Amino acid sequence: MATLRDIKSRIKGVKSTQQITKAMKMVAAAKLRRAQENVVNARPYARKIWQLLSRLANENDLNTNPFFVQREVKNVAYVIVTADRGLCGAFNSNIIKEAVRNINEDLNNDSLNVHLFCVGKKGFDFFSKRNFNLYGKNLGLFSSLKYSEALDISQKIISAYLDGTFDKVIIIYNEFKSIIQQKIVVEQFLPITLITERSEKKNEPNYIYEPNQKSIFDYMLPKHLRAQIWRILLESNASELGARMTAMDNASTNAKELIRTLQLKYNKERQAAITKELLEIVAGANALKAS
Amino acid sequence: MHELDLDIISPEKKVYSGKVKSVTIPGTKGNFQVLFNHAPLISTFELGIIKVGLPGDSTRIFTTSGGSAEILDNKVLLLSDTIEAVENIDLERALKSKVRAEERLTNKSGSIDFDRARASLAKAMNRIKAVEKYSTLKKDIPI
Repeated sequence: MATLRDIKSRIKGVKSTQQITKAMKMVAAAKLRRAQENVVNARPYARKIWQLLSRLANENDLNTNPFFVQREVKNVAYVIVTADRGLCGAFNSNIIKEAVRNINEDLNNDSLNVHLFCVGKKGFDFFSKRNFNLYGKNLGLFSSLKYSEALDISQKIISAYLDGTFDKVIIIYNEFKSIIQQKIVVEQFLPITLITERSEKKNEPNYIYEPNQKSIFDYMLPKHLRAQIWRILLESNASELGARMTAMDNASTNAKELIRTLQLKYNKERQAAITKELLEIVAGANALKAS
Repeated sequence: MHELDLDIISPEKKVYSGKVKSVTIPGTKGNFQVLFNHAPLISTFELGIIKVGLPGDSTRIFTTSGGSAEILDNKVLLLSDTIEAVENIDLERALKSKVRAEERLTNKSGSIDFDRARASLAKAMNRIKAVEKYSTLKKDIPI
């Protein structure tokens, strides 16, 4: 049986937790707005580069371009984008679950080597403790996300892809659908599966290419890949904040509910104690009168 | 009016968007200027300075680390990883990164990536030069 004092201290504890979750929700909401803006701001760049590339793409080049050629797959790399911090609901565990499922499928195939590249601390914490082949990591980048991070990551992945360490690169990340909804996306990053919107090609203006079509294409391609990574980082960041906001909102509501029931219990207890005391007094008085 | 639509886009944001009279670009095969009725062109450009002539004879200067330009129907689209207006350049930071890059290039201790140091030195120099040369234009620039 909980005493009045126990209940009171519990109410106090829950209240202070509620304060923390409320504050975290506010912080996430404020950051989320900026993250959402960043996602929107990054779109025109990525889209324009893609348009340029599909305009420049040339059937013959694609068949020999290392970024497009499908090699026999012996080494697969999974880039797993998680958050750096927890307290955002099932955000991290969902993505880790999905990653593990995909990886296990590939591990059943004996001729495949699986490499992992962890972006975000939570994924690294999980996979580094288990028996996985960790190729690389980038941690602690989400607190202040910069384009140079995307550069860094794509550099590592692209160079490993080109020197044959990986034959295929798959990225698993959370796509930002809305504040309350994230979608896990498993996307093949390299080789690029593609592209050209042929319909657009018909009424093409006669461009002058400087220096020439192929070298512009080769110059733009890494930029496209970087822009992709950048987009993915931004999406994941926005999703994380959205997930944290909803999780903290739920936590605040739960705390409120908990406080309500505790308060009710406290009041009942208090009333019971008063009634008991009264009864004792009355009984005592009666006993005195009777004697 | 002989004006062009100019859009300058970096991965982080739209840097500039508006009507201009001319754009001078440090193209891979040499500097070139885009004026009204330029032929359709797709070109890459290098580290350097982009000069934008605004209607009414004022100029805006941008520094860039290179990118691509597309010109079609009097629309100019510049895409670049880093591109910034000269008035937004943090001169102190540029000077610091210049010193850092120079240090790296002189201290030849193994693990340093020379290409990267050289590139960042070039970028810092580009910024510093732009500020020194053009920051007097500041007062002409509508912010």
